[in-house]
Amino acid sequence: MLKIESISKHFGGVKALNELNLEVGEGEIFGVIGPNGSGKSTLINVICGIFLPTKGDVIFEGQILSEKPTHQRLKKGIARTFQNIRLFPNLTVWQNLWVARNSVEDIKTESSFYRWFGKSSIVKKEIEKMLEFSNLENRADELASSLAFGEQRRLELARAVATKPRLLLLDEPAAGMNKDEIRDLDKRIRSLQLQGITIILIEHVMELVMGVADRIAVLNFGSKIAEGNPQEIQKNEAVQEAYLGYSEDD
Amino acid sequence: MDFYLNLINTIGIHTMLGLSAYLLLQTGQLSLAQAGFFAVGSYTAAILTVIFQWNIIPSVLVAMLVTGFLAFLVGFPALRVKGLMLVVATIAFSEFVRMFFYNLKWRVTKNGEEIGPDGTMGFAEIRYFSDNGWSNLEVTFFLWTFVIIIMGVIWWSDQSRTGAVLRAVGEDELAASSVGINLTVVKVSAMTAGGFIAGLSGGLYAHQVTSLDHHSFTVLLGTFAIAYPILGGLSNVFGTLVAVIFIQGLLVEGLRFLGDWRMILFGLLIVLAMNFKPLGLFDKQTIAIIKRSIRV
Amino acid sequence: MEDFLYEVVEITQTIWDGVLFGSTYALIGIGFTLIFGAMGKLNMAYAGAAIAGAYVGLAVSMFLDAPIIFVFAVSALVSTLMGYIVYQTCFRFIPTHNHLAALMASVGGLFLIDEVIVLATRGSPMNFPGLFEDAYFELGPFGIRGDLLFVFFIGIVSTVVLLYVLFKTRLGMATRAVAQQDVAAQLCGINIHRTNSITFSIAGLLGGIAGAMTAAAVGVLSPVMTVPLTIKGLIVTVIGGLGSIPGAIIAGLFVGAFENFFLYIRGIDERDMYVVALLFIFLVFRPNGIFSKTITRD
Repeated sequence: MLKIESISKHFGGVKALNELNLEVGEGEIFGVIGPNGSGKSTLINVICGIFLPTKGDVIFEGQILSEKPTHQRLKKGIARTFQNIRLFPNLTVWQNLWVARNSVEDIKTESSFYRWFGKSSIVKKEIEKMLEFSNLENRADELASSLAFGEQRRLELARAVATKPRLLLLDEPAAGMNKDEIRDLDKRIRSLQLQGITIILIEHVMELVMGVADRIAVLNFGSKIAEGNPQEIQKNEAVQEAYLGYSEDD
Repeated sequence: MDFYLNLINTIGIHTMLGLSAYLLLQTGQLSLAQAGFFAVGSYTAAILTVIFQWNIIPSVLVAMLVTGFLAFLVGFPALRVKGLMLVVATIAFSEFVRMFFYNLKWRVTKNGEEIGPDGTMGFAEIRYFSDNGWSNLEVTFFLWTFVIIIMGVIWWSDQSRTGAVLRAVGEDELAASSVGINLTVVKVSAMTAGGFIAGLSGGLYAHQVTSLDHHSFTVLLGTFAIAYPILGGLSNVFGTLVAVIFIQGLLVEGLRFLGDWRMILFGLLIVLAMNFKPLGLFDKQTIAIIKRSIRV
Repeated sequence: MEDFLYEVVEITQTIWDGVLFGSTYALIGIGFTLIFGAMGKLNMAYAGAAIAGAYVGLAVSMFLDAPIIFVFAVSALVSTLMGYIVYQTCFRFIPTHNHLAALMASVGGLFLIDEVIVLATRGSPMNFPGLFEDAYFELGPFGIRGDLLFVFFIGIVSTVVLLYVLFKTRLGMATRAVAQQDVAAQLCGINIHRTNSITFSIAGLLGGIAGAMTAAAVGVLSPVMTVPLTIKGLIVTVIGGLGSIPGAIIAGLFVGAFENFFLYIRGIDERDMYVVALLFIFLVFRPNGIFSKTITRD
C-alpha cells in the first residue's frame, strides 16, 4: 500500500533519512522504532508532505505523491497524529472533530451548503460515533485545552480517524502514558485495524509496539538496520547494538 | 435627535468595519488593510452616485464587489508574509491606498457645478441622501439593515463548521492542514470576505458623512478596525458590537466633556484591558460566566 | 550638457543628504528590530516614546536655558525610561504567545503618549534647535550640511556603542541568550523580565536619540510625527530583516536616500507612495529582508 523508495532527506549537512526503503502492506500494523534522532519523525513528515524528500519517492497505492501538499494527501487517505499533541485548544471537543471532516466521502455525502453552514444528522451521528470511540461523550462541549492529558491523546487519535483514513500514521502515541492507558491504546489500535485501516506506528514504548505490530522496521541514523516480526527484532544483534551499545555476545 | 442618530450610524459602520477584521483575525491574519479597503469602498460608491448618478443600492453593492475583488488579489501575496510582517505590509497597503486617493483628481461638471474627488482637497458634496429626500431616520434604518445582515451572516458562520475551520487555521496551521484543510483557500477567502464587508461599510460611510478626506482613512482607522474584535473577543459577534458601542458611544461621544482627556482614557483603557483580559473582554470564560449567571 | 551635469550633481546631493538623514531611520529600525529579536513582538509605541523624549528634552532645555547637547541627552534618558515603562505596562504581563494582545496594548500606549503630548502642547508644533545648523561644507559642487553630518555622526557612535554592549558585555550576552532561547536562558539563571526590560530601555535610548535627531534635522517637533516615523521605522525594519541590526542600518540609510530621491523628482505628495512600493517589492522578492534574523530565535 505504501512504498518508501530510496528516500533521502537532508537538512543542510544532516542526513535525517538516508536511502531508506520500506514497504507497508494493506491492513498491516507496521512498527517503526529506533534510537532518538534516527529519523522516525522525519519519516512521518515526509510521508505526510510536510517535508519534501531530497531524493526518492513516496508511493501510495501506486501513485507517486511527490509534490502533493499535506491537505491533499489527507484527501488521498493519509492521516496522522502528532508527538506533541496538536489539538485546537480553544475549540471544543466537538469542533475539533467537526473540522476534520475533509475526506472524499464526507465531501460527497454532504452538500456544500450543509458542510459549511448547517449541521446535518449524518454529521451528528458520525461525530457521536467518534466521541464514543474515544470515551469523550460527556466532554463534547468542553474546550480541548481543558481535557486531561490522556483524554487529549484520545481526542487526537479520534480526530485523525474522523478523516476516514486508509493509512494512519501514529507518532509516539504512547509517550507519557501509564500502563492502563497503554493497554487501552493497544485495544484501540487493534480495533482500527479491524476496520481496515493500515497503521504505521512510530514508538519508543516497547511493550506497545512489540505487542501490537505485525512487522517492525528499525532505523538508525536515517537508515534501516533491521526488519521483521517482533520476535525477530528482539533477537537481532544490530538492533541491540543500536539501542544498548552492545550485543549479547560481547 | 440628530446627534443620537449620527452616533447610531457611526456605531453601525464601525461595527461592520470591526467585523471585516473579525474573520481575518480568526484565521490568525493580523491585517491592518481594512482601512484601505474601507477607503476603496467609500470612493467607489461615492464616485458612482456622484459622477455617474447611480442609485445608492447598486453603487454600494458594486463598491462591495470591487473591494472584495481587490481583497482577493491582496489575499495571495499576504500568504507569503507571516505574522507581524503582515502587520507592516498591511499598514503599508492602507497608507498606499490613502495616498492614492489623496492624489486622485476626477472632476466633472454637472448642472454648472464642479463635483468629484479633488485630490488633496478631498471629495465633498456626496449628497445622494439629501438630494433624494431621505430623512435621517431612513438613512439610519437603511444602514443598520446592512449591519444586521452582516452580523447575522457572521454569527451563523461562528455557529457552523465555517467558524470552527477559520479558528482552527488561526490556532494551528500545521494541524489544520494535517486534517485536510486547505490553508490557501481558507485564508484568501477570509481576506476576500473581509474586503466585501469593509467595502460595503465604506460605501455606506461615504454617503452618511457626505464628504471624504484622506484623514479619515489613516492607520488609526485600521487599528480601530482590529481593536474592536480584539477587545470584544474573537468567539462572539456581539463582543465586537459591544466594543464599538463602548468605544464610540462612551469615549468618543459621551465623554466629549472630558475634552482631550478622553483619548488618554481610551489609550489607558486599551492597555489595561489587554493586561487583564488578553483574550478580549468577551472571551469564552467570560461568556460561560455570563451564561451561568443568567441560568441562575 | 550643462543641464545634465547640473541634474547629476543635484541628484547626487539629494541622495547624499538622504543617506545622512537616513541614519535616524536606521536607529529607529534598530530599536524595532532589537525588540522583535528579543521578544518576537512589535512595539508600536516605540516612535511615540522617542518623540516624547524629544519633547521633554526640549522642555527641560527651555526651562534651564541649557546648551543644545543637553537636549539630546535628556531626550535620550527620558526615552530610555519610557522604554522601560512601555515594557512593564504593555508587554510584561501579557502571555508570550499572545501577539494580538501585546500589539494592541502597545497601540494603546501609542495613543496614550500621543494624546498626552497633544494635551501638553495644545497641539501646536514647536521649534527644535538643530546642532551645527550653520555649518556647511563645500566639496566641489557638492554641499554637506553640518547638522545632517552631526546627526549621522551621532548615529554611528550610538550603533558602535550598542554593538559593543551587545557583543562584548555580559548584559549584551544575556540579551542575546534570551532572544535565542528564552526558556533555556531562564534555566541558566537569567532573569527574563530584567533582561527584556533592559532591552526595551536600550531600544528606548536609541529611540530618544533618533527622535531628537529627527526633530533637529527637520527643525520642528510635532505630535503628528509619531505615526509617519512608526511606519517608516517598520518599513526599514522589515526591509532590513526582522531581528537584524546590520539590516536595519543598511535599510535605514537606503530608505533615507530613496525617499529623498523621490522627493526631488516627484514631490512631497507622491514621495511616500514610492517608499511603500519599495516595501512591497522587497516583500515579493525578499520577504525576509536583506538579512534575516541575526539575533533572534528559531
